[in-house]
Amino acid sequence: MPCERKPMRYVTSFEITLTCGSDGDVRIWESLDDDDPKSINVGEKVYSVALKNGKLVTAVSNNTVQIHTFPEGDPDGILTRFTTNANHVTFNSSGSRVAAGSSDFIVKIVEVVDSSQQKTLRGHDAPVLSVALDTSDEFLASSSCDGSVTVWSIESQTQVAQWKILQKSSDVSNAKSLCRLAWQPHSGKFSLWLLPVVNVVVWSPCGKFLAAGTVGGNLLIWDVEAKLCIERQKHEKGFTVCGMAWHPSGGRIAYTDTEGCLGLLEGVSSSSPPSSSTVQSTKVKKNDYDDLFDEDDDRMLDEGMSDSRSPVKKPIMEEDDDDDDLMPATGKPRNRGSFLDDDDNSQDVCVSQDPGSVKLDGVPEEDGSSAILPAVGPAVSRPVYEGPMPTQPQRAFQAGSTPVHLMHRFMVWNSVGIVRGYNDDQDNAIDVEFHDTAIHHAMHLTNTLGHTMADLSQEAVLLACEGTDELASKIQCLHFSCWDTHKDWIVDLPKGEDVCALCLGQGWAAVATSALMVRLFSIGGVQKEIFSLPGAVVCMAGHGEQLLIMYHRGTGFDGDQALGVQLLQLGSKRRQVIHGEPLPLSRKSYLAWMGFTAEGTPCCIDSEGVVRMLNRTVGNTWTPVCNTRDSCKSKSDHYWVVGVHENPQQLRCIPCKGSRFPPTLPRPAVAVLPFNLPYCQTTTEKGQMEEQYWRSMLFHNHYSFLSSSGYEIDSEGQSQAEKEQQELLMKMFALSCKLEREFRCVELAEMMTHSVVTLAIRYASRSRLFKDKASFKFCFSKILVSIFTFTMYNNIYLNVQVSGAGKPSSSSAGQPRTTSVLDSMTMSSRKPTPLGGTSKQGKAPVLKPLAPKPKSKVHASKGNSKKLVDSQTEAEKVKAAPAATPPASVENIENRKPKTGFQLWLEDNRKSILADNPDFEEMDVIKQGMGRFRTLSAEERLNWTERAKGDSDPKKRKREDEGQVNDQMESDEGSAKKKKPLDTSAKLSAFAFNKE
Amino acid sequence: MDPAEVEFLAEKEMVKIIPNFSLDKIYLIGGDLGPFNPGLPVEVPVWLALNLKQRQKCRIVPPEWMDTDKLEEIREQERKLDTFTPIPSPYYMELAKLLLNHSADNIPKADEIRTLVKDIWDTRVAKLRLSADSFISQQEAHAQLDNLTLMEINTTRSFLLDSLNYMYKLRSNLQPGRSQDY
Repeated sequence: MPCERKPMRYVTSFEITLTCGSDGDVRIWESLDDDDPKSINVGEKVYSVALKNGKLVTAVSNNTVQIHTFPEGDPDGILTRFTTNANHVTFNSSGSRVAAGSSDFIVKIVEVVDSSQQKTLRGHDAPVLSVALDTSDEFLASSSCDGSVTVWSIESQTQVAQWKILQKSSDVSNAKSLCRLAWQPHSGKFSLWLLPVVNVVVWSPCGKFLAAGTVGGNLLIWDVEAKLCIERQKHEKGFTVCGMAWHPSGGRIAYTDTEGCLGLLEGVSSSSPPSSSTVQSTKVKKNDYDDLFDEDDDRMLDEGMSDSRSPVKKPIMEEDDDDDDLMPATGKPRNRGSFLDDDDNSQDVCVSQDPGSVKLDGVPEEDGSSAILPAVGPAVSRPVYEGPMPTQPQRAFQAGSTPVHLMHRFMVWNSVGIVRGYNDDQDNAIDVEFHDTAIHHAMHLTNTLGHTMADLSQEAVLLACEGTDELASKIQCLHFSCWDTHKDWIVDLPKGEDVCALCLGQGWAAVATSALMVRLFSIGGVQKEIFSLPGAVVCMAGHGEQLLIMYHRGTGFDGDQALGVQLLQLGSKRRQVIHGEPLPLSRKSYLAWMGFTAEGTPCCIDSEGVVRMLNRTVGNTWTPVCNTRDSCKSKSDHYWVVGVHENPQQLRCIPCKGSRFPPTLPRPAVAVLPFNLPYCQTTTEKGQMEEQYWRSMLFHNHYSFLSSSGYEIDSEGQSQAEKEQQELLMKMFALSCKLEREFRCVELAEMMTHSVVTLAIRYASRSRLFKDKASFKFCFSKILVSIFTFTMYNNIYLNVQVSGAGKPSSSSAGQPRTTSVLDSMTMSSRKPTPLGGTSKQGKAPVLKPLAPKPKSKVHASKGNSKKLVDSQTEAEKVKAAPAATPPASVENIENRKPKTGFQLWLEDNRKSILADNPDFEEMDVIKQGMGRFRTLSAEERLNWTERAKGDSDPKKRKREDEGQVNDQMESDEGSAKKKKPLDTSAKLSAFAFNKE
Repeated sequence: MDPAEVEFLAEKEMVKIIPNFSLDKIYLIGGDLGPFNPGLPVEVPVWLALNLKQRQKCRIVPPEWMDTDKLEEIREQERKLDTFTPIPSPYYMELAKLLLNHSADNIPKADEIRTLVKDIWDTRVAKLRLSADSFISQQEAHAQLDNLTLMEINTTRSFLLDSLNYMYKLRSNLQPGRSQDY
């Protein structure tokens, strides 16, 4: 504490004012015009003084609290000691006790006459800033750097109440304010103000007025009952007010500031509150000094505190004040009578603090319960803007770069390589290094132009610098893949136009400038299109022929950024894909990274670590795919993203301990994070599968995008992805079956591809979960309808009928239809499905207790191959799957027989149907056929059935010969048919839900 | 056993490298390696890492324990205790030697690490000799030494066994009656 800081706390009384300061003196001012105050040297530094009943108590820098006689100033002993200096001493109202709060976290209450009678209050976790004794001597309030204000019961030495309402600080010298507290005389209330701006608070002796001195040099006086600010004065020099005291008669306030001046404010409370304006709310802490003033002795009380340690810290709070007359009194107090009356001053509080002073009332009384009342605050006379505050727009940046001010920084780190910039004493250079040395060898360039921006692609390095007074902003391109001898080119921007962001694509470069323009260049340096942006650019990224631009769409409020996105397709099919729609970001965050995945999907990451990817299938919306903060061990850790890959799903990033970006040395290592869509209940199996399914859907969108934009795609990968998705659907279906969620099953089935739907239906029919046949039938008829409507795949329709509904239905009317349709249809319509590849998976352990062989038969039969027509096979089948379909077996037999009958009939009659209705499609033909077949007489139908039996017999025999090894047995078309069901059955078993 | 053989075994340890080339998975008898993506760390055996390093195809990421702080801690621990402390890698000496010899440029504070590893080694081998000495001088029948690495055992094996053999012979010559039994 420098000596010039000589804050004084003074106390005036009638004529005498005491001040103390870090110069070690206590000065006694006889009157406000006293030019030659008497000084008592009490120590090296005086932290606080208090005066009552002729005793002067000082807290001095030798860690003691001393008593001096007054006014002689002779030492009268040491009251108490601390392990470090006391910050505040104060008398109680009768002058019999002294309370002192010290930097060693302890508050002591000492009897003045007998210093051995001490009470020690322990419980603060940081230096005590201020103490105050209430008028009844029952309670003591203390504030501390630990952010708490505590009310203690003096008798029991226990805490009665504690509020954590102050800003924490590590030490008294760091405290934002002195946090003085004040008990209201008589009423036993005490008030506290919260913003760190108010340094001291004092009650007038009458208890009606409250005066506060702020860090910013304002003096404010409120009428507490009316809750009005009746006075406000600005310290002429704006120094921090560090001490205040009312004249015991009221009406005058003496104050000191941190520069060592004493001032007096007169005419304060005596006059009725002038029309005053209000002040409001800065949060203040109130301290009390009232005690200090002491009414009873007529003389003065003083109080000194010397340290005001806090310079103004919160810039936010500026209070302005207009006029006047605070008298500053350099060094000496002046008497000014006229002062203040009516000027009103209002204080504007700008910004965020709402008038929220916190006031605690009634604490000390009985139970110590306290209420925190909102605002003592006087009404605000001048409207104060309290709405959302505009956010500083974020500056333009290059994705994957570390801040420009660093001497060693990454200018870009992307999936191609790393560009590092060095700008220290010896060297101003740029290193370009490629992850894959096959692209190009590493380069070292001297950075004579002072480039600050860079981008790197497989073809070129693009560098740019901002312009200076003499030099224009320049773009330099090192086109290393160029086949002629001129590997680089430089372009100057027009005067006054600076490069803000740049990016490279395939065969082109784009530069956004401070003139809100985007300039396109070919990679060889030909200038191409230019266009304007609606706002200042934030970042740009290129990939292939796509250009992604983020810019300020407007002003964000309350910490949010308002960014817009444009996605342009360059190249041959030029168009704007995203037309400046708003970019979703987390609340109060800014854009931290932006770019394309390796597959070309736009992706952005905000400062909260949320990774969002463009979902082209839902109208170019952004889907959050990962939150990197979830993987961070501590709050200050971050992941610095360097690349996003969709296949395999990888978020490549560099873990940074305690910072947002990595240093260049030691060379950071890349880590890979998985993606995780924020779906609900991902702890449950259902949630997990849903998340996986949609993640898979999202991360394979790029296939359709790539193929639509003419790239070759990895069809194997695509089919793999589809397979995975269908498997997940099937698993979800199985789960829903297990839970007997039939409606959900249908919903899931609607999301499946056709081949998987049949699989699902088989699963459902066998799982016995649809106990109610009718509902089963209903469900699948629903699926059928939905599929039918958009696929027109009649075979599926038929399959479903047979395998699903056919079994349970026993009505003879239904039989012919289901059976016959099956056969004819399956043959023609079966096509290889994308799921064919799953056969491998089919060999996986089977969870259902079905023997593999019989099972295959079952499926074969369901698959409607002709061989399974006869009753024997049916019987076998029943045996094979007894659990699944015992009651249905007989019906099945019946069902199957006529099936072929209808088929044969249909073959015979197809021509006639077609002749009648030449425009019929296959589906219609079958429908028509079914209708006609039904109209046949029973004998005729039987006849057809017999014929069908006859046809199928040889096959059955053959089948038996082969020992039921169904898998490989069939020849020609039979085998194809056969195989399919087999595969599906195997698949099916793999999906069998094993939860129980 | 030859130190070279021990080193050979150590080369099967996995280490992370950052390749600067791109290659699909490679299928080897010992297992599949890769895929190699430029700039993305991948685990490979030390022999492959060193080979790639020598061809300047990768950077080696030093194992986690190869860090001065951790090694210093181990060294202190090793000096404090009479027994052998657990070592982060059963092949610490071999790995340190291989990696430091071939890719010192990828390892921060390589020289310090070399010294530290050497210190640890010396301490441990000294302990090993001491315990061998007391083992022999007290004519114990058996001794248990935990946390020894293969290389450490290897340094003392031939010498200890041979000398025990000789001592046995000498002792049995002193007691002719017993020697005839064998």
